[in-house]
Amino acid sequence: MNNFSRLLSYLKPYRARVVMAVGLMVLVTLTALPMPRITQYVIDVALPKKQYHALNYVFLMVVLLYLVRGTISFLLNYTISWLGQRIVFDLRFQSYRHINRLSLAYYDKRQTGKIMARVIDDINVIQYMITGGFVTLITDILTLVVVIPVIFWMDWRLAFISITVVPIYVACYKLFLKRIRRLSEQLREKWDALLGALQEKIAGITVVKAFAREEHETERFMLTVQDNFSLGMQQAKLNRTLGVVATVIRAVGTGLIFWMGTKLVLGEQLQPGELIAFVGYIGYLYDPSVRLVDFNIQAQWAGAAMDRVFETLDTRPEITDAPNAITIRDMKGAVEFRNVTFGYEPDNPVLRNINLKVEPGKVVAIVGPSGAGKTSLVNLIARFYDVTEGAVLIDGVDVRQIRLESIRRQIGYVSQESLLFSVSIRENIAYGNKEATEEQIIQAAKDADLHDFIMSLPDGYDTKIGEDGIKMSVGQKQRLAIARATLTNPRILILDDATSALDSKTEANVQQALERVMKGRTNFVIAHRLSTIVNADQIVVMDRGEIVDIGTHAELVARPGVYKNLYDEQFKSAQEEALSALLG
Amino acid sequence: MRNFFRLLHEVRRYWKVLLLIGVLTLMAAALGLPGPLIVKYLVDHLVNRQPFSIFAVFCALVGVAIASGLVGFALTMSVTYLGQRFKLDMRRKLYGHMQTLSLGYFEKNQTGKLMSNITNDVATLDQLIGGGFVTLVSDLVTLTAVLIIIFTMNWQLALVGMSVFPFYIANYLLHIGKIKSTADDIREERDVMLGDLQEKLAGALVVKSYAKERSEVLQFVGQNRSLLNLNVRQGVLGTRLWTIAEFIGSGLGVALILWFGGRQVMQGNLSPGALVAFVSFITGYLYGPILRLIQLNDQIARTNAALRRIFATLDTEPNIKDRPDAIPLPPIQGAVRYENVWFEYEPGQPVLKGINLDIKPGMMVALVGQSGSGKTTMINLLQRHYDVTEGRITVDGYDLRDVTLLSLRKQVGVVIQETILFNTTIRENIRYGRLEATDEEVEEAARAANIAHVIEGLPRGYDTRIGEEGIKLSGGEKQRLAIARAILSDPRILILDEATSALDSETETLIQEALEHLMQGRTSFVIAHRLSTIVKADLIVVMEKGVIREMGSHQELLQQGGVYAGLYNQQFKVALDAIQTEGAAA
Repeated sequence: MNNFSRLLSYLKPYRARVVMAVGLMVLVTLTALPMPRITQYVIDVALPKKQYHALNYVFLMVVLLYLVRGTISFLLNYTISWLGQRIVFDLRFQSYRHINRLSLAYYDKRQTGKIMARVIDDINVIQYMITGGFVTLITDILTLVVVIPVIFWMDWRLAFISITVVPIYVACYKLFLKRIRRLSEQLREKWDALLGALQEKIAGITVVKAFAREEHETERFMLTVQDNFSLGMQQAKLNRTLGVVATVIRAVGTGLIFWMGTKLVLGEQLQPGELIAFVGYIGYLYDPSVRLVDFNIQAQWAGAAMDRVFETLDTRPEITDAPNAITIRDMKGAVEFRNVTFGYEPDNPVLRNINLKVEPGKVVAIVGPSGAGKTSLVNLIARFYDVTEGAVLIDGVDVRQIRLESIRRQIGYVSQESLLFSVSIRENIAYGNKEATEEQIIQAAKDADLHDFIMSLPDGYDTKIGEDGIKMSVGQKQRLAIARATLTNPRILILDDATSALDSKTEANVQQALERVMKGRTNFVIAHRLSTIVNADQIVVMDRGEIVDIGTHAELVARPGVYKNLYDEQFKSAQEEALSALLG
Repeated sequence: MRNFFRLLHEVRRYWKVLLLIGVLTLMAAALGLPGPLIVKYLVDHLVNRQPFSIFAVFCALVGVAIASGLVGFALTMSVTYLGQRFKLDMRRKLYGHMQTLSLGYFEKNQTGKLMSNITNDVATLDQLIGGGFVTLVSDLVTLTAVLIIIFTMNWQLALVGMSVFPFYIANYLLHIGKIKSTADDIREERDVMLGDLQEKLAGALVVKSYAKERSEVLQFVGQNRSLLNLNVRQGVLGTRLWTIAEFIGSGLGVALILWFGGRQVMQGNLSPGALVAFVSFITGYLYGPILRLIQLNDQIARTNAALRRIFATLDTEPNIKDRPDAIPLPPIQGAVRYENVWFEYEPGQPVLKGINLDIKPGMMVALVGQSGSGKTTMINLLQRHYDVTEGRITVDGYDLRDVTLLSLRKQVGVVIQETILFNTTIRENIRYGRLEATDEEVEEAARAANIAHVIEGLPRGYDTRIGEEGIKLSGGEKQRLAIARAILSDPRILILDEATSALDSETETLIQEALEHLMQGRTSFVIAHRLSTIVKADLIVVMEKGVIREMGSHQELLQQGGVYAGLYNQQFKVALDAIQTEGAAA
């Protein structure tokens, strides 16, 4: 119930509207009351006494009553739907903003589909509960509060009888409750699993196809769908059984009232019209009772959704601005790693005791076997993750003391995988710098050796990428990502294996451009091809999470070690060729 | 409407369930009718103070309730069954069909939209089938029966009761146009938001590295704000429609009946009980069904969009299909021939222009060239992800288009540029290459790909989960897993598309050994930019703008002094320089 009160707190800013809604609900409930009495009047008074003029009043009364009722319920529905939509809006906004604040570690561990399900589906479920369940609940409670005294006042014996059957229904419901709850949970879980599997297999279709696994996948998918099927059937059965119980109990209640009522009428203790009116009111008694139970089912469902939404909102972003974080306006680009130890999981460090000092404007190459921690190292500079021990400093300030935005705005990062968005090439390049001029965009594309390719497309820079757009090769995507990074004019440029998919010639072109771009910035370059890094001011050799050597190319090849081995390995064939050429 | 008939066609095969539902619906509708009549009987006797068997009335009430409860139970269960069954079959059909579609289709459609096709669109149809069809039958039956009853009871009063119908319908027609167009707007806006959300969540790394969180949130808020406004507008329209409908039906209609019916009672043309029954027939059994019937039309229109999307997917012909007379490709040697192959993704923009290539079984072929020169396309064609525009490709003399896709792809193993692993254990990821492989074979493949020591170093070894709730692997580790997966599938033709780019030279050397061993006796195609990994190839194919520029062994090409020699010198310039200076010094 804790979650519900938390949800209610979202209504606080709209207190006035909530008060208005409750007021309107009271009015709507009250307008429901006169109708059975009017019928009673017609049957008991107007008809036997043949009062024709009374019928005119009745006509006017009914029309007026429904006019008032209609107006009020229109206002009520409008207010409620506004509130519901507004809460959806607020919750979505909050969740999305919060998810954006969470660090990459959050994304690493979750499928995109599941994150989306929270932002979209779960919040929708909550909205249905607010606009549907909550409103009905309150109206029903109000109705019960009003109707019970009314029927007792009309005839306490009949009222007593009609109420006696309600507990039977409640008992039945209690019996079912546990299973209904469990089923709801299972259904939700299976649905999540289905979405997750679907998302993964559609995104990974290349692998499915490459291994000719289409049939296997379809079968597997059908298993999840099958589960959903049988759970859905079970749920329908439970709900329906309860429905049958409700129908029968209601009929028994009504039947008992007629029985008892008939005796009273024949004994002249009750007017026939009163009995009809009474049966009309009974509807107000039984319907809400059944709905209260329905609400409970709905609340189960919404409760699970709320759990997940609030869990997301409560996930503390691991990376946040310190309260006294400063803004570095003009970063010089000095980077220092001071005794840095870091691991994605607490007891599994991927970086150990890293010490590294980089002067502004230098080019640092990082080499080492895969899994050595190269990407982890550069990820710490942009503070995608926080160090476990030690500190990373930019311009002498611990990155945890600098405002995140001011760090990332001044760092250009080109990752291993080039992620582009489904918009035009121009918008993709300008993603990091929306104010860039056309010339700047073209210059960035030229720097990445991509301009000629773009101009060869019919729509040039307006060509759409991705869905409904063109297909780009991995190398082209990488160059686009490089253009995007250079356009922001970063103080620190990080290229994480950004040129791996480029052929040597293109790479050489890009390299030339990059050398120009790198001027006046601090650069971190991860590359496997040694030819791309021999000119670095400093080469950092990493192995198993540690820095094993630092130096220039000339220094490093001069001494035995990991770098020398890498170098020899890669250049062996070239050396052989060259030597044989020299000797030959 | 055409789509709707097609849907009917889809539903036709559940005719048994449909028949059952029809019968149950008739029963349910019939069981609804006695209620007001019982009340009429009761009231008439009470008003006239005539004695009657209250026990009989009680039994009738409860009996009808029990019967209608049971019928309702059976009805709901069969409707649920039909709906769920339909969803199940439809999803199988859609998903199965999507699987047959070629890669191009997936590149052009965002994952989120494809998913929504399978999940939301199908669910929308279910609502139409579960709700719409049953309502149609039951309402038609109820309507006919009630009309007969009330006209026999008192035809003048029946006419009075029905006099408000035109207003009722007019009100509905006045609103529905706006409601529909708002619904379309909402759906459109929602689709845009979903697509965007999916992309931005998947691309979180980019959003974060440009510190664009705030502008993304702003954009999201903008989309949601217009959704909010549209939804509220929809709410207002809907509420107005129903409020007015209630006023016309329950207010005006009942008032008229009480007024006119009251006069009829006073004149002795109608019994008081009949009046009460009349009111409940008109409000409960007449206005509702009529409105729902009109609505059905709207419901069909609303589901039309979903129908259109579903059938559009089902109608997308896989551009790669088995021919009717396709034969399974027998176990192959691995001879591959490209004969004057032309290919274009977009008409008029050829990516490959007249490729001729003859590969003997067991050869290692290296494809070299600038990015965009057509290397990946070459191997995509070999796996038959696309069909050639002109010319043909044969494997062991079989035209790829003459053999079944399954038999071809089973014999062609691939390690692609972007490593895609699934959210399961390491073991299962490797086993994806050959589902029936034993644990030993999986581990052997891991060893061959030089990833075994990494896996065994993990606390849970091969049962370690990767991805969500699992561990994070480095790019090189992921690639080696993908290589292990390909090794396990034991293909006759092996394709390595830039598979080793994320590996450092040392690891690559280790893998290279394993791969060389693996490539023994297999035809292999390697795309790699690092020349050192391809100098050992039997044949190096140098591509440029969709044509083969040079072909030959490393030695031959160097001697030719062409493009390849240029590339080679570029990459090894530093080394050559160093060696020359050393040599000169010596």
